Amino acid sequence: MLPYLLNLAILLGIAVILAWSLNVLIGYAGIFSVMHAVFYGAGAYVAAQFALHVSADFMLSTLVAMVFTGALAFLVAVPVLRVREEYFVVAAIGFQMVASTVFITWEGATGGMGGLSGIPPAKVLGFELISPAAYLVLTLACAAVCLLALVALVRSPFGRALKALRDDETAAIALGKHPVKLRLIATTIGGAMAAIGGSLYAFYVSFVNPESFTLDYSVLLMAMVIIGGAGSLLGPVLGALFITVFPALLNFLQVPSSVLGPVQQIVYGMMIVLLMMFMPEGLVSAGKLLPGRRK
Amino acid sequence: MSLGLNEVYKSFGGNQVIDGVTLEIEDGKVTSLVGPNGAGKTTLFNLVTGFVAVDRGTIRFAGRNLGGLSPQAVKRHGLVRTFQNLRLFLDMTVLENVRVALESDLSMNFWSRRNLAQVEKVLRRVGLWEQRQKMAGELSYAERKFLSLARVLATGAPCLLLDEPAAGLDGPSLRLFHELIREFKNGGGTVLLIEHNLDIVRDVSDRIVFLDKGRIAAAGTPEEIFSNPVLGELYFGIRVAAATAGEAGNAAR
Repeated sequence: MLPYLLNLAILLGIAVILAWSLNVLIGYAGIFSVMHAVFYGAGAYVAAQFALHVSADFMLSTLVAMVFTGALAFLVAVPVLRVREEYFVVAAIGFQMVASTVFITWEGATGGMGGLSGIPPAKVLGFELISPAAYLVLTLACAAVCLLALVALVRSPFGRALKALRDDETAAIALGKHPVKLRLIATTIGGAMAAIGGSLYAFYVSFVNPESFTLDYSVLLMAMVIIGGAGSLLGPVLGALFITVFPALLNFLQVPSSVLGPVQQIVYGMMIVLLMMFMPEGLVSAGKLLPGRRK
Repeated sequence: MSLGLNEVYKSFGGNQVIDGVTLEIEDGKVTSLVGPNGAGKTTLFNLVTGFVAVDRGTIRFAGRNLGGLSPQAVKRHGLVRTFQNLRLFLDMTVLENVRVALESDLSMNFWSRRNLAQVEKVLRRVGLWEQRQKMAGELSYAERKFLSLARVLATGAPCLLLDEPAAGLDGPSLRLFHELIREFKNGGGTVLLIEHNLDIVRDVSDRIVFLDKGRIAAAGTPEEIFSNPVLGELYFGIRVAAATAGEAGNAAR
């Protein structure tokens, strides 16, 4: 049971980092990106290749992955951010499809469908991480760094400008804010932060292949942010918790194993529908529904 | 420093919204734009602030031609505007709404004392300092009006374009509004005001420009404009044409 829980906690930690990184786009910049798994994947592949061919130092690999993925996010955002709202969503889906194909076919970089295996254990300050418990500590440390970075970002002039843009673009422009510049930087930051999740995943699983970075996963990440509550630091944590842990809890349902899968899917799907109906601002707004709390 | 428009034209489709407006806004004065709905007042604001490009003509401020400049560049030159529908950042606090107005996008100066002091001064003046941690969306209508005003006052811009800033205000709120405009003017600031409340227009304006169908129908001091029976008829209808200026104001509300 303990290995199972440790595994779940590590995957949850990675999901929280990814949801936070996407929240920079959705929650603060108002960019509904459905291509975030691409940056997660790019980060994972770069960290894996770096570990396989240069060094398994976690911090160095992650830094390289962040730089590469941040640059990729910037380059993607330049053309994609020219289109707005629903058109952006469609353009992002298109980019995700292109990237998924690249992950599958560019065998030299990604190993194709077979993926990259044999990724060595991560080294942190000279220590090799072998046990899941060590990876959990590393994941928590990464999450703490991401949280601090996000707190600083949200409280910075840049963070306020982003939120202003999200709330009312016309008013933000009248006050001198530059939407394209701000959104480009937000996308770059979000992409670079997703690479941290990718790097953690690559080292922890020691194997990466395209199945982990599909459009489905991009949609799931978006669901984490929206279900939890976009634009807050706690929301993505709650969303990641719901999306990652709730299906795991459904494994304990007392139903015949032959129908467990469909029952899980139905219960899970219905929960999402009900949440969006009764808590459209996400799980983070649950406190407002308590008696005596301001709505 | 003055703001000037020279032979400015703007049409949307076949509709000539601004039809050859030439106007000089004096520095350190309050100039009010009045006229019926659809006269082109807000369009004129949009043209001056770069939100809409002029078809023909020039707009200059402080000796610079504003033609072709983005709204951000216009703001940088010292012209800041409010909006008729306020356009506050509703999911940001009162404090953030004002702070964001005077920060540059990428400033790394997280805790600029000068900015914070300026924000505090302005919020105290408009009576919103105690509510600084409230979300803008939680404020009353009158408070939102003052937050919108605080946001532009905090920028330190020398020229404010205020679009119906006093609509819906009454009693003490109106008095505070008067004081704020007077203080800004006494500090050397220039105001271009769109306002339907004619009591306010008469009280705060140094000059009134009457706009009708995209043209300047008349311009002059409040006394000259309010005593013009033709304008009274144009704007307020026959009922007010013979009435006093004060009654005209009430009728317009």
